[in-house]
Amino acid sequence: MSQSHEVELAGERLIAVAGKGLYWPSQSTLFVADVHLGKDSAMLATGIPVPFGATTETLGRLTQILHQTNAQKLVLLGDLWHAKQGRSERAYGEFIQWREDHPDVEVVLVEGNHDVKSGRLTGNVRIEEVAEKTLLHPFVLCHYPQEDPSGYVLAGHVHPAVVLEGSGRQAIKLPCFWFGDKYGVLPAFGEFTGCATVSPNSRDQVLVVADSRIFSVSCSTAA
Amino acid sequence: MISKLEAWFHSRGWSAFSFQKDVWNAYLNGESGLIHSATGTGKTLSAWMGPLAEWLQENPEGTFGPTLRKDSPGLRVLWITPLRALAADTEKSLQLPLEDLGIPWTVEIRTGDTSQGLRKKQNEQLPTALITTPESLMLMLTRSDSEELFGDLRCIVVDEWHELLSTKRGVQTELALARLRHLRPEVRTWGVSATLGNLGGALDALLGPKNNGITVQGHLEKEIVIDCVLPKNIARFPWSGHFGVTMVPAVVEAIEGGGSCLIFTNTRSQTEIWHQQILDSRPEWKDEVAIHHGSLDRSVRDQVESDLKSGKLRAVVCTSSLDLGVDFSPVDRVLQVGSPKGVARLLQRAGRSGHRPGVPSRVTCVPTHAFELVDIASARAAALAGHVEARKNLSKPLDVLAQHLVSIAVGAGFRSDDLLAEVRSTDAYQTLTDEEWQWVLDFVVRGGESLRAYPEYRRVVKGDDGVYRVVDKDIAKRHRLTIGTIVSDSAMTVQMVNGSRLGTVEESFLTRLNPGDRFLFSGKLVEFVRVRDMTAWVRKATKRTGIVPRWAGGRVPLTTELSHAIRQELEHVKFGELRSPEMKSLAPILELQARWSAIPAENELLIERVQTSEGHHLFVYPFEGRLVHEGLAALFAYRLSRNQSITFSMACNDYGFELLAPEEANLDAALVNGLLSSVDLAADIVASLNAAEMAKRQFREIARIAGLVFEGFPWMNKSTKQVQATSGLFFDVFARYDPQNLLLRQAEREVLERQLEQSRLGEALVRLQQANILMTYPPKPTPMAFPILVDRLRGTVTSENIGDRIQKMSLKLDKEADS
Repeated sequence: MSQSHEVELAGERLIAVAGKGLYWPSQSTLFVADVHLGKDSAMLATGIPVPFGATTETLGRLTQILHQTNAQKLVLLGDLWHAKQGRSERAYGEFIQWREDHPDVEVVLVEGNHDVKSGRLTGNVRIEEVAEKTLLHPFVLCHYPQEDPSGYVLAGHVHPAVVLEGSGRQAIKLPCFWFGDKYGVLPAFGEFTGCATVSPNSRDQVLVVADSRIFSVSCSTAA
Repeated sequence: MISKLEAWFHSRGWSAFSFQKDVWNAYLNGESGLIHSATGTGKTLSAWMGPLAEWLQENPEGTFGPTLRKDSPGLRVLWITPLRALAADTEKSLQLPLEDLGIPWTVEIRTGDTSQGLRKKQNEQLPTALITTPESLMLMLTRSDSEELFGDLRCIVVDEWHELLSTKRGVQTELALARLRHLRPEVRTWGVSATLGNLGGALDALLGPKNNGITVQGHLEKEIVIDCVLPKNIARFPWSGHFGVTMVPAVVEAIEGGGSCLIFTNTRSQTEIWHQQILDSRPEWKDEVAIHHGSLDRSVRDQVESDLKSGKLRAVVCTSSLDLGVDFSPVDRVLQVGSPKGVARLLQRAGRSGHRPGVPSRVTCVPTHAFELVDIASARAAALAGHVEARKNLSKPLDVLAQHLVSIAVGAGFRSDDLLAEVRSTDAYQTLTDEEWQWVLDFVVRGGESLRAYPEYRRVVKGDDGVYRVVDKDIAKRHRLTIGTIVSDSAMTVQMVNGSRLGTVEESFLTRLNPGDRFLFSGKLVEFVRVRDMTAWVRKATKRTGIVPRWAGGRVPLTTELSHAIRQELEHVKFGELRSPEMKSLAPILELQARWSAIPAENELLIERVQTSEGHHLFVYPFEGRLVHEGLAALFAYRLSRNQSITFSMACNDYGFELLAPEEANLDAALVNGLLSSVDLAADIVASLNAAEMAKRQFREIARIAGLVFEGFPWMNKSTKQVQATSGLFFDVFARYDPQNLLLRQAEREVLERQLEQSRLGEALVRLQQANILMTYPPKPTPMAFPILVDRLRGTVTSENIGDRIQKMSLKLDKEADS
């Protein structure tokens, strides 16, 4: 248990960070998935009274994890913006400011389903928008988890979580990194996002995130 | 005028009851009030004929011959019914005297089921008497011309008022009534109610706390017989579960007895199972035994209701969906499967039988597991002693008020002071403070204090004239679609792949299904195919194996009255007195309970400590009903976990609760150190309900009513998905970014007052403090413990560090996923 956990993927050494990012030291590259900026402002714009704050906090955490890893490149595995209505002056303004605060970090966005609906990024954001299955050898950058012959797939989209069970009929659901043979799925980065329970198999590696720490999970086969 | 009405009664071979004449006279004198009478005793005509007499006074010559819609007078009587299913029957009853008396009125229904064509006509001109639900009435109040719409309204009748009382729907009705009284100050309001424990409260809720309303007592409940089908072999009768299928032959026998029969169950899934079981033993009854519950498609339910009335059906297996009804098909026999759960509920169900004079109403209870025999015996004892539940009025639910403010803003708009005065004239909001009002106003205008600076947020807008209105058409449209206070799990349509719609099922159940899984629905065994377009597609199942039985999680808690009666019943058992056939039948199991552990007397608190392979169990039996037990379990777990690092999983039923932990809890020390103490009780209760995340669960309903969660509709643009989030997520976002939000406080208050019944919880603790603790160490879970032990629905309270917990846990792999 600690703030980070090393994993080996496609022969490369990577570090899963408790702040819900996956760092690749040799390339100084940080992967995060499903940031979902502007979900709060999208709701406000449709007349749903939620407090604004998740977007600010999510951007703050992005800054924090960039500092922590000192990454030079940030790869967003889809769903950077939650919805078009969410790009309010305020939310988008904070996003532009965030980008200006990190002028030297190269940012790549793999287009996710929410990005398609939200439309192209506007303003001087200097974010390279790339298509699904862009190669970053030995990895294939995707939004949707899938197998691909050209490499190990890194993806998001599902907001994975697992249910851990203990004696005394205890159970707890936690967001997780889920690394299989052919692809790995990152937890959703955004503050205001839910998660979905996934069913890994015994060869998969699962790391859960709780209380700003990361834990490797032991598996047992159900009776 | 009254004589004309009486003459009409005579012409039909009836005679008017004196309480009916009392109501007519009171109405003509301009009075309002509450009519309180047993079912099937002429309540409808007592409320209806006052307005008719008034018309006859004004139009003594009468108008005979067919009534044209366009020639009929505008809206004079509004008839509010809690159940759409009752509307059609009510319409017929109201029509009955019109032609004979020469009254050219139209009577129509407006509910969610009303056709587009009729709606359109009604939008141009309302009928003279309109039968509607609280939700449809609120919708009418969102029209900008609502003032003209109700311009000649003379009388409002609220039917089955006891059903609405003490619910948020009832509060919504109170607000609508206050609105109508504001528009038409001289309007008279009459409530119609069955037996209630607290008539004064019912009258206040109906007319507002400052009222001169009268209460008219009609006929008292007739004689009621409560009996029970006893299990043939109690040794083989299960200790838990709710299928009780060994009782099927007895139920079939009762149906065979002839006449029509209603079989009430406590959950929808139980209804499906019993229907299937009955048909399995009597396949030839395929077309004579039907099923009825709230999840079934409207058309299916309508068919069943009309078949029941026309005598085509031998039996209907149903839930509370068929509880109500004045003239709603009396039957020859009523069965109650499973615990009656409450005295009033059992009496009401019994009242559905024996409408013939001189014949008592009778209900036959069918236990589904052993200890339900105690519930049945106790319910009868309480009913005989006249201990019927009171319905407590709700106090100022802010979510309902927020919805109301938006509704009025969508309609005519409002000025703050005017609407505040109107809202405070209701019983529910009479103690609303200026601060609370300001907060709700801010909430709908800005989304609460913390949203002050959000230019993108516009729900209700204050105009330069000081009037609050909804200007955005989309927001108005969306609000109209979400009016109401009935919150169910997000539901999905169930449809056969070859066409017919069967009804709806909770989404949470469907997400657990795999293609090929089979379940019972609408009396059919179906196989799940797939989910597409918000619809679960199913086909007729061919094989009968692998049935998933449960799809409704609804649980009815035991009422205070019944809990109390059960403690008394056990007290008698403790001293060797088995007072009823049910208790005598249960004797061998009570003996086993006494041998392994004990039967508690009224002044004893039984605690059983058992160790199994799962860990250390504490079973505690306060006999206070499941709601209070949920609170007590969290409080016990919280207080126990303060002195040691431990995680409890909790389960409860109506008799007691269980705390289970891998390690042994230090109970003895905790008992000495004030486990039952009243010191810091309020703070500890709040802390324990937070620890058990109960407020978060309660927030589901509040988020929906206050307009946060919008479920969307099949015909709507898919992009509505983008502004959806679960209430749990909303709860977290509020707790984090707007912790002062009053809706969070409301969630807490609702858990305390309503769900946990804080006053009951406090009273229970005081009682338990005086009780002698009876600690036993049974060799294995006892007959009383067993039903709690097998409950899968569990909460958690922990004082352990999450890292420590995770270290001790593992991910159970799904065998299929692992292959």
